[in-house]
Amino acid sequence: MSLLDTIPETLGINEPWTETGGVHWLPTGGLNVRELAKAMNALNARFITITAYQLPGAEGLRLEYHWDLDGQLLGFSYTLAGSSIESIYDICEAVDWIEREIHEGFAVDFLGREYEPLLLRQGDKLGVNLREEAK
Amino acid sequence: MSYKIPMGPYHPGLEEPYKLDMICEGETVQDAKLHVGFNFRGIEHLAEGRNYIQVIALMERVCGICSNIHTLTLCQAMEGLTGLTPPPRAKYIRVVMAELERLHSHVLWAGIAAKLMGFKTMFMTCFELREKVMDVLQAISGNRVNYSMNRIGGVNRDIDDPLALLGMIELLEKEMVRKVIPIFTTSSTARLRCAGVGVLTHEKAISCGVVGPVARASGVPQDIRRAAPYAAYDEMEFDVPVQPDGDVRARLLVRALEIMESCKILRQALTKMPSGEINTGEGKFNFITGTATSRVEAPRGEVMYSVSWKEGSRTPARVHVRTPTFATMPAIRWMVMGARLADTPLIQASIDPCYSCTDR
Repeated sequence: MSLLDTIPETLGINEPWTETGGVHWLPTGGLNVRELAKAMNALNARFITITAYQLPGAEGLRLEYHWDLDGQLLGFSYTLAGSSIESIYDICEAVDWIEREIHEGFAVDFLGREYEPLLLRQGDKLGVNLREEAK
Repeated sequence: MSYKIPMGPYHPGLEEPYKLDMICEGETVQDAKLHVGFNFRGIEHLAEGRNYIQVIALMERVCGICSNIHTLTLCQAMEGLTGLTPPPRAKYIRVVMAELERLHSHVLWAGIAAKLMGFKTMFMTCFELREKVMDVLQAISGNRVNYSMNRIGGVNRDIDDPLALLGMIELLEKEMVRKVIPIFTTSSTARLRCAGVGVLTHEKAISCGVVGPVARASGVPQDIRRAAPYAAYDEMEFDVPVQPDGDVRARLLVRALEIMESCKILRQALTKMPSGEINTGEGKFNFITGTATSRVEAPRGEVMYSVSWKEGSRTPARVHVRTPTFATMPAIRWMVMGARLADTPLIQASIDPCYSCTDR
């Protein structure tokens, strides 16, 4: 059994990995993003990035978290009903700038962290770059 | 008494605008804050309004040094959404272009580092070498910055006589072995300016998630060409240079050794290049609904593209770029803490930053 195969059981997820678009995806179900980050740290997986997508209509936003485990790209998708999700900055230092960028580009609030001055532009309005209703 | 010294956004030590606010006690930096965003062009947003041909030209302009890498990563992701597989010769040409780009990027960086050390003659030597690599890139592609080589399903231009490029590889290798590497490794000026300066520990490199030569200079043996091979890298033999010290000298050594490895890869790619088509032709293809991701080892480290498409659409729904400097740059704070103020221009340059990439 490979290390990858042990992850669903470690995370308490009963579904297997699916590979699409060059990424191994695991359904997150009710898995808290902070629990996920702790599990990835325990596996010595390397955080890569978070990709934010605005879903059509009022479906909200989707955040895709990516880690690298021995060259394999892992993906975990979270759909946000509102505009907030817990920050993992205190668990995974590498997320600092991407959380700030998504906060600025999509007006997503990463709860439990402080924001420094804007990363990508000066101003006082969030979400102006990539959020649909602000275009 | 502590005082704040700003470096940038426009400063002789910076190649592009960004700002480093340093809190100093005497000549020692106690802490630093980074401010980026001066090159923000909204490229990810612009990409949503470009069709599948225009978006390649747009993303080539994310970076002026590793422009080829951006189109390569984007095209690989879009190939994942169209089901197209580039012919073997195209994969080899992609390797050649990627390694030539790494060569000119690393030699450019060596020149800039030499200038910041006060080594002006070395700066000129490095730029002379880089010019030779640029000439080859121009001979292949017709361009010196934006090469327009990659397309969905292959490359746009062939390399008519691959073996004719071997002479340049030999010349570059000889110059590196005879001049650049000995001077950077044995000269007391280089050693005093670089050894033990701007240290990023192994633990901090892992925790910050740094990539590329910066990670490898802190003892993290990470290279996408080896870990998740793309194009024709699975057919190439090469080593991944790793240094344990995490200082400016280690970053310099890693890049110098990578130049030698690039020459090794180029020699293999040029001599073993298979014959045949260079792309999948002008046949029709459709994008499937969904997201595809691609990763490539750029000169500065891992680049990742996530491209999302809706079926029947001519434009992407989303293009997200994670550039290597975006991952590496926050670590500058830890490199300059405890350093002498006079060393900070060299320390920040030692990650070979690209602020245009970072801001997009």
